[in-house]
Amino acid sequence: MAIKSVKEVNRKEYYIFSPFLRIFHWIMASQIVILFATGLLITKPMNVAITEPVFSITSMDLVRDIHFTSAFILCASLILRVYGFIINKGDRLFPRVWEGHFYEETVDVALHYMLLKPHHASFLRNPLARGSYAALYVLLAIEILTGFAMYFMTNPSSTGGMLFGWVNVLVGSEMMSHYIHHYVAWFIILFAIGHLYMVIRAEFMEGESEVSSMFSGKKILAHTPKDANELD
Amino acid sequence: MEKRESLWEAYLRRGLSRRSFLKGCVALTSLMGFSTDMFSKVVEAAENKPLPVVIWIHGHECTGCDESFIRSGAPLASDVVLSSIALEYDHLLSAACGAPFEAHLDETIAKYNGQYILCVEGAIATKDSGVYCMSGGHTFTHLLKKAAAGAAAIIAYGSCSAYGGIQAAKPNPTGSAGIERFVGGKSVVKVPGCPPIPEVMTGVVMHVALFGTIPPVDGDGRPKQFYGNRIHDTCYRRPFFDAGMFAETFDDAGAKAGWCLYKLGCRGPETYNSCGNLRWWQGMSYPIQSGAPCIGCSNSNFWDEDPFTSRLPQYGKIGDADKIGTALGVLTAAGVVGHAVASVVQRNSRENLIDEDHHE
Repeated sequence: MAIKSVKEVNRKEYYIFSPFLRIFHWIMASQIVILFATGLLITKPMNVAITEPVFSITSMDLVRDIHFTSAFILCASLILRVYGFIINKGDRLFPRVWEGHFYEETVDVALHYMLLKPHHASFLRNPLARGSYAALYVLLAIEILTGFAMYFMTNPSSTGGMLFGWVNVLVGSEMMSHYIHHYVAWFIILFAIGHLYMVIRAEFMEGESEVSSMFSGKKILAHTPKDANELD
Repeated sequence: MEKRESLWEAYLRRGLSRRSFLKGCVALTSLMGFSTDMFSKVVEAAENKPLPVVIWIHGHECTGCDESFIRSGAPLASDVVLSSIALEYDHLLSAACGAPFEAHLDETIAKYNGQYILCVEGAIATKDSGVYCMSGGHTFTHLLKKAAAGAAAIIAYGSCSAYGGIQAAKPNPTGSAGIERFVGGKSVVKVPGCPPIPEVMTGVVMHVALFGTIPPVDGDGRPKQFYGNRIHDTCYRRPFFDAGMFAETFDDAGAKAGWCLYKLGCRGPETYNSCGNLRWWQGMSYPIQSGAPCIGCSNSNFWDEDPFTSRLPQYGKIGDADKIGTALGVLTAAGVVGHAVASVVQRNSRENLIDEDHHE
């Protein structure tokens, strides 16, 4: 008995993301939201405007503590990312800038996203996405370095101060670390908006399992992606 | 001064009592940030160490550091200059002038080669061979190099000599910079501040004078006992910060009540200095106490981090990074929606084409 809305399609299952990467991804996504919200509140705090600190709930202190806790959780979760990176090839989809075809393919994908071409070749992860994720890790690294540089310098002679204090010297001053930390946070949010849109678009318009693979770890595709060989 | 006398000998020569000498040593001990265990060592050093020869030169600056220095309350600057150090050459405080004065500098450098302390106030002007700062007919960089070569220790007083100072602000027409590059690779004790706290200035020079060593410094060369904490972490208004009680403008109720000045651009959270614990003028007050947010005058680049009254730089009428970021976020979101619509249109037109192909 054939059901009308069921059709037979030949699909292949590609296992890409280890559970470690997936857990890391969702921890990162949630912590970025928390970090961004609390970060804005730290730069421009709400004024509780009560008359006696005795009755205060130390709101600023609380917001900062949430920010710091969240930052530590994000940094700790990087361990998962690194472990997945070591054990699973699918966690290592680099932008292959050392291979010539990377650039042609980037242009090809970009032309499609500019709506100048009707479609682009299918990838497990397209070169433009690879580049943007690499850039995100750079932004993240800047946030971590400047963040700890500010955090640990409460006691410059502590171990943390020794490990991260040089960042303030490198960028010129500690205030500059604040500025950089704040500006880069905005770039991460702009990335997040674009990222959210692009994965949903890929999922629903191009049948690429971009969203579902970050839950299941697998892509079940009717076509063969061009970079499938990178999983072996 | 052939045989240089020690502090104790200087007291004896003036007929001062042992008791007042010991009292002076107690004051010195606490001034240098030591615990009382160190008292016996301070006394020992004061009895035996010959008073150090100090050469104090001034470069590209306003001499405001000296204005601060001469107001040191404990010890009195006059005590430091007249009895605790042998100040052989000082652009500002010396009575002599002209060729004999400059000749005396050369004599001092030759005579006490490798023994004298060099105190430097003011930046160096590096552009156009350093002609923007001249001293005694030579460029200041020339004088600095000459004096630094034989110095036992070099102390950089003020943000100018430590980092370049106000005149290093963009576009820095004179190429003003900290002295570090022109002292022949010797380590420099930085005592930044615009000006530094008087007691910090006298404290550092007395440490070097008595012990012959530079005080413990942090990675940037600043003495830890005076620059080891943020003003924010020693600020008496810190509880208001933690509570979220802020002055929003300079004339609101919060400002009158003495709440935290963070939202008015206070640089306390980024500034390492002793304003919060030593304060100024023998502990009378400091900028935040008088209602003015800290401008971070002991920081390496504070002059370019304007406006001082806001936490973020302002870009004219566009506003600060938060406004620009919000605008960019909205634009991106709008762009995303537009792109989605265009993508659907593109796909539909493509499918229509394919459908037409099938019909034909």
